[in-house]
Amino acid sequence: MGYAINFGQVFEYLPYLAGGAWLSLQIAFLAFCGGLVLGLLGAFAKTFGGPILRRIANAYVVFFTNTPQLVQIYFLFFALPEAGILLSSYVAVLIGMTLNAGAYLTEIQRAGFSSVRQTEMEAAETLGMSRWQQVRYVIVPHIARVLFPPLSNHYILMTLGTSMAAIFGVEELTGRALNVNSETFRSIEVFTITGVMYILVTLVASAILGVAGRALFRAKMRIV
Amino acid sequence: MQHLDIVDISARYGSHQVLRGISLGVDRGQITSLVGPSGSGKSTLLRVLVGLLPPETGHVSFDGQRIDYSNKKNVKAIRDRFAIVFQQYNLFQNMTALDNVTIAPIKIRKRNRAEVIDEAEELLAKVGLKEKMRSYPDQLSGGQQQRVAIARALALKPELLLLDEVTASLDPELVSEVLDSIRQLAAEGMTMIIVSHEMGFVREVSSTVAFMVDGKMVEVGSPADVFENPKEARTREFVNKILQH
Repeated sequence: MGYAINFGQVFEYLPYLAGGAWLSLQIAFLAFCGGLVLGLLGAFAKTFGGPILRRIANAYVVFFTNTPQLVQIYFLFFALPEAGILLSSYVAVLIGMTLNAGAYLTEIQRAGFSSVRQTEMEAAETLGMSRWQQVRYVIVPHIARVLFPPLSNHYILMTLGTSMAAIFGVEELTGRALNVNSETFRSIEVFTITGVMYILVTLVASAILGVAGRALFRAKMRIV
Repeated sequence: MQHLDIVDISARYGSHQVLRGISLGVDRGQITSLVGPSGSGKSTLLRVLVGLLPPETGHVSFDGQRIDYSNKKNVKAIRDRFAIVFQQYNLFQNMTALDNVTIAPIKIRKRNRAEVIDEAEELLAKVGLKEKMRSYPDQLSGGQQQRVAIARALALKPELLLLDEVTASLDPELVSEVLDSIRQLAAEGMTMIIVSHEMGFVREVSSTVAFMVDGKMVEVGSPADVFENPKEARTREFVNKILQH
């Protein structure tokens, strides 16, 4: 029996799906920002920390980059309630993705730290800068430029990774697509449209990142 | 009492012994030049003085006060009084010339902005770069960058200025503009320790020349003594070699 393609019925759900896409973007953005901060701390600990701090940061990175993201979120969502910590599916996904991103972004940012010209660091040191001043005035402006491409790649990956939230019942783009699918049984149309929407979302994200990147490349540290 | 008193300093990079018991005294307002073959430890001595490499043995006193290089506070305090200019300029690439010069006084010393900016503009004018204040290092020639680096060091109002082969990576025609800036400082009575291979310049500006080989001080004396009447055979050999070309 042939399958008659009919997009009309699914098009009615476009605003509903667009709302889901918006939520996907939000999750990716929040988790990425949280991950950036965690990653900066991790990279700082791995580069400048004492043996204990370095070991903690290392353990964190090893654990989160060597276990599946899905298992990490399962743990937060299903295992933590056993210990009396009850998280909503949205919060569990957000925390899980943030922790996971933090581990990857620790490694990416650490590479940026070590690419800072040693000579500039020595100049900073002999001018009397504290560690934090070195990070703020020399390291971060430098890595902001060097790390922009790998960071934006990771951001795109995270945007696509948000589809995992559907498993936990979060109504982001994939979650809503599943809902539409079970109401219309128009699988080909639903998932084609969903795919196209993901492409649009990542293209928009790339475009925004591109503009931000060009601004960053020109961004110089202003003192006076 | 000597302004700066370096006594029996030894230092190593890993297993490589670079300094083997260096002693040297510097008087206020004096210019001391460290000369010697590559690898003799001249630059390393400057790095020890600013606390980039902790000495293994020996000690350094400044105005009679012993510097404890194992104590962070002490090192920070000494960096308020010593400034160093590096061979590779080491400017902050993401900042304009003016920002490079003002960052330490404003952000680290927390001095008054307007006052610092006035001083920085004066310093940059002094090294002939008033028009380049808003330029970034990659828009400047090597000689210009090195002069910004000198202005950056002077903005800290150091009591002792260390110059580490500041002309070594410059094209010959750019060397003289940097040397002119240093001559001017010399005329103003700045106490300096200079590592340089520009022997003509060393001879002209130095009050004292210290000749080093293999991490040891071989001979210390006036430029006339060291260049024209060296006591040590090793110094004679070095002087003869450099006079040949």
